Amino acid sequence: MELERNEALVLKAMIDGNEYSVNELVEKTKLNIAAVVKALEGLKVRKLVEVREEEKDVLELSEEGEKALEEGVVERKLVKELVEAGGNKPVDDIETQPKDVAIGWAIKKGWVKLEKKDNKRFVVVTARGKEHADKEDELEKALRDIAEGRKVEDKLIKILRSRGLVEAEKKSERYARITKEGEKVAGTIKEIKEEVTLLTPDLIKTGKWKEVEIKRYDVKDPVREIYPAKKQPYRAFLDEVKRKLISMGFKEMEGPLIELEFWNFDALFQPQNHPARTWTDTYKLKHPSHGKLPAKKIVERVKKTHENGWKTGSKGWRYKWSEEIASQLMPRAQGTALSARTLASLPEIPGKYFAIARCYRPDKLDATHLIEFNQVEGIVLGEELNFRHLLGILKTFAKEVARAEKVKFYPDYYPFTEPSVQLSAKHPELGWVELGGAGIFREEVTKPLGIDVPVIAWGLGIDRLAMFKLGIKDIRYLFSYDLEWIRKHKAIITL
Amino acid sequence: MPTVEISRKDLEKLVGRKASSMEGLEEWLMWVKGEIDDVDGDTIKVDVKDTNRPDLWSVEGMAREIRGHLKIEGGLPHYTVGEALTEVFVDKKLKDIRPVIGCAIVKNVKFDDESIRQLMQLQEKIHHTFGRKREYVAIGVSNFDKIKPPIFYKAVKPDELKFPPLGFEEEMTPAEILEKHPKGQEYGHLVEMFKRYPIIVDSKKEVISMPPIINSNTIGRIDENTRNVFIDVTGLREEDVFTALNVMVTVLADRGGEIYGVVVHDVNGKKLVLPDLTPKSVEVESEKIRRILGIEISDHEIVELLKDARYDAEVVKDGVIVAKYLPTRNDILHWRDVAEDVAISFGYNDILPAELAVSTHGELSRRELLSDKIRELMLGYELQEVMTFTLTNKEVLFTKMNRKEEDVVEIANPVSSSWTTIRNTILPCLMEFLARNKHVEYPQRIFEVGDVVEIDEKAETATRTKRHLAIAIASSTASFTEIKEIVESFAKQLGLKFEYEEEKDGAFIEGRCARIMLGNKKIGVMGEINPAVLNNWELEMPVAAAEIELEEIMKHL
Repeated sequence: MELERNEALVLKAMIDGNEYSVNELVEKTKLNIAAVVKALEGLKVRKLVEVREEEKDVLELSEEGEKALEEGVVERKLVKELVEAGGNKPVDDIETQPKDVAIGWAIKKGWVKLEKKDNKRFVVVTARGKEHADKEDELEKALRDIAEGRKVEDKLIKILRSRGLVEAEKKSERYARITKEGEKVAGTIKEIKEEVTLLTPDLIKTGKWKEVEIKRYDVKDPVREIYPAKKQPYRAFLDEVKRKLISMGFKEMEGPLIELEFWNFDALFQPQNHPARTWTDTYKLKHPSHGKLPAKKIVERVKKTHENGWKTGSKGWRYKWSEEIASQLMPRAQGTALSARTLASLPEIPGKYFAIARCYRPDKLDATHLIEFNQVEGIVLGEELNFRHLLGILKTFAKEVARAEKVKFYPDYYPFTEPSVQLSAKHPELGWVELGGAGIFREEVTKPLGIDVPVIAWGLGIDRLAMFKLGIKDIRYLFSYDLEWIRKHKAIITL
Repeated sequence: MPTVEISRKDLEKLVGRKASSMEGLEEWLMWVKGEIDDVDGDTIKVDVKDTNRPDLWSVEGMAREIRGHLKIEGGLPHYTVGEALTEVFVDKKLKDIRPVIGCAIVKNVKFDDESIRQLMQLQEKIHHTFGRKREYVAIGVSNFDKIKPPIFYKAVKPDELKFPPLGFEEEMTPAEILEKHPKGQEYGHLVEMFKRYPIIVDSKKEVISMPPIINSNTIGRIDENTRNVFIDVTGLREEDVFTALNVMVTVLADRGGEIYGVVVHDVNGKKLVLPDLTPKSVEVESEKIRRILGIEISDHEIVELLKDARYDAEVVKDGVIVAKYLPTRNDILHWRDVAEDVAISFGYNDILPAELAVSTHGELSRRELLSDKIRELMLGYELQEVMTFTLTNKEVLFTKMNRKEEDVVEIANPVSSSWTTIRNTILPCLMEFLARNKHVEYPQRIFEVGDVVEIDEKAETATRTKRHLAIAIASSTASFTEIKEIVESFAKQLGLKFEYEEEKDGAFIEGRCARIMLGNKKIGVMGEINPAVLNNWELEMPVAAAEIELEEIMKHL
């Protein structure tokens, strides 16, 4: 039969067949009362012990009794006082209180006698009294025994009760006796090990862990909540997007946060009076206000392309292009600026590039608008690329990023691509979502930058997907300032 | 992108067919690059994506295009322009003010609520987008029956005459209009720098309109009873002005109006008869179209597809197609623009997507690769990653950090005083983060790897974007030792050796702040945050922090 350690300890303590009170078992097993009671319950259920309850008087020390235990009984305090005073003291000068009780008991015990001298009554210590001055009195021992739960002679209890040092209270006490079945089981208990709560290095080193029992825990007990340090949730999402793009063969592009209007707009064939270039649509810089335009050759070609189409086969925008405007600085407004820079810096052909570009827009900041956001953008260059490849890439994005099997293409417009298309994808949970925009860069964009092959340009609108994956309704939580939310957010974010 | 409000019934009436369903309507709108934004009963808000095609920004223009694709009516739409009914004389003084004017007359227009609303909407959309908020193009529509020809487009002194502007009974001078009329206040900046303002008057000196601000309240006012209208379009360049004029007259003609001409004696004394609806043409090589679209279609098929898109096209010689189109379009700059129209007619969703056969090798940039490794390391130090905004202000960057103001970028048109610059360090953003989380359980251990912008006049963009790492630990035991342990361990894990020197930085406690050096270059700073700074952020917890530039580190790896 499987016994818990405490049960085994208690059962073994009762093997002689005698009846034991709980207190006696506490003493024998060195367990605490609660542990003994719990063990007895367990043993009783399995009929290994019989338990009976008995109402009985339980003695407890009164307030006086407590005092006597601490300081000694009053008659002994009295003789001590007398010994210190040289053997006697006038009755009126006695300090031990209550004086009458002390003197009465001391006389009864033959420790003092009263004498009259010069009309004054003196208390005089006897030889027997002197002997008891520094010796524990039998009453004091009885008080200690009661306090610590030991048995005391009835004679003494009677005296203590009459002196009001102890009080009796009715309590039910449990007594237990081992059964025949219990004896059999007890006989099979081999050795009961010492129990430890903490497995210490010392226990391991000395091998003592083999001799002890490691305390069992209730594994269902609740514990404190802790949080791991982890990637910011939006970062975790973006990392997944990045991983996908890299696996699809895209190389990352880089560029500055503060951009020349040249790269942000002019190189992308957006005319200098384009509405997107006004103060209400893009941030401008007061300081520093202007940067340096790239190599003259590129600037000349872009200028001519705007003015008359240059050699791109275009009519151009037919206006006077200004270097001053092109050299103005601005916080980057579109990730496509990075694509323009990449085209101008001898990209690989065939080649695939992407960027997760931080962009800025003068807007209000609220639950649905950010003034600073990430755009996922990229380009694909290749001699034989055509519109069907563009649709193919978008379809792959839909599948990889939104797990969408169904896609729909809509004619769209961007100043820098022709033809242009918008991608809608049927997300398994969100339904139809606009997932991105794309197109083939206009020749007015590619040729001035020295690229003579078709270039597919694409951008993915992943914020709605990110919000869904992060379980947020407020777009500001992408850049969350709420530490508690970050701490509690689940760590695993998949696309 | 213009958002145009139309009535579905009105659209169906103009198309001459009912849309089968909302999906069917969606298909129709794809042909005009329109996306349904909102539906409220019969009213549909359509986002028209193409900002270069004012001919599609009205229900009439949409219907015209849709009729082609539904094969109700193919090829070039046909319009006739009747004889010139009046003359317009342009004042030479307008040459440097607002030189170009185009005019037309449309008779027997039958207006109703909806058609007036559509006309006003189109006028407004053209003003805003195509006209660049009226600078390039402004349109006036007036009651021709009240005009006593001929008409004069003049430059007048701001107080030379008086007339009641639209919506007002009271007569005002042009100067007063700029000051008092809401449109004057909104668009006054387009003329106020000139000594004279443009004005259009008839032979009785009655004012028709004051472009590009406002029409008169008398002649320049139309309602349901107006039958014959005079349209004036003014602006800076003939091509914009005439395109807008053509868009306006064709829309009125689609409603049954008859177009009549106007003789304009322009600013250079040249005589023009307007509107000029002679088709424009573009020559394209069919092979180029086939190649960029990747679809096998014959020249003849291209011609047919272009007819659906309202071109008149023909194969003039082998492989060369000439496509004629209405001069309501001014967006065809390149053969690619024609190629897109072919693709739209073919149907984007009928083109088979193709797999990209080329295989390329994908990779992260070196900076991002290193950033990722560092992020991993920081998580190992039990620091939680955060992402904060790079837009901030000088109070956050300097005042609250007890640091001297440094040279940082300044935004010329901030939308809020909270975002006037882009950060040059990350630590202030982390302090702001901590300040917003005072109620959250401590310790708070956070980091960010992100970009900052420094001024560098010599650089191409007069700035440099740099990657930084910043760490902040807020806890009752946060100390210099704790942050130094992390920084030192970080260096060792990268195989680098950092040196430390005492640093004075107002953000930190003096004597508990170190400059982090790598190969004799300062790459960062660390220490215990100055209690004065904690006070500024109303933080009651000690903070130990560090900020390290990663650019220099990259050079050593």
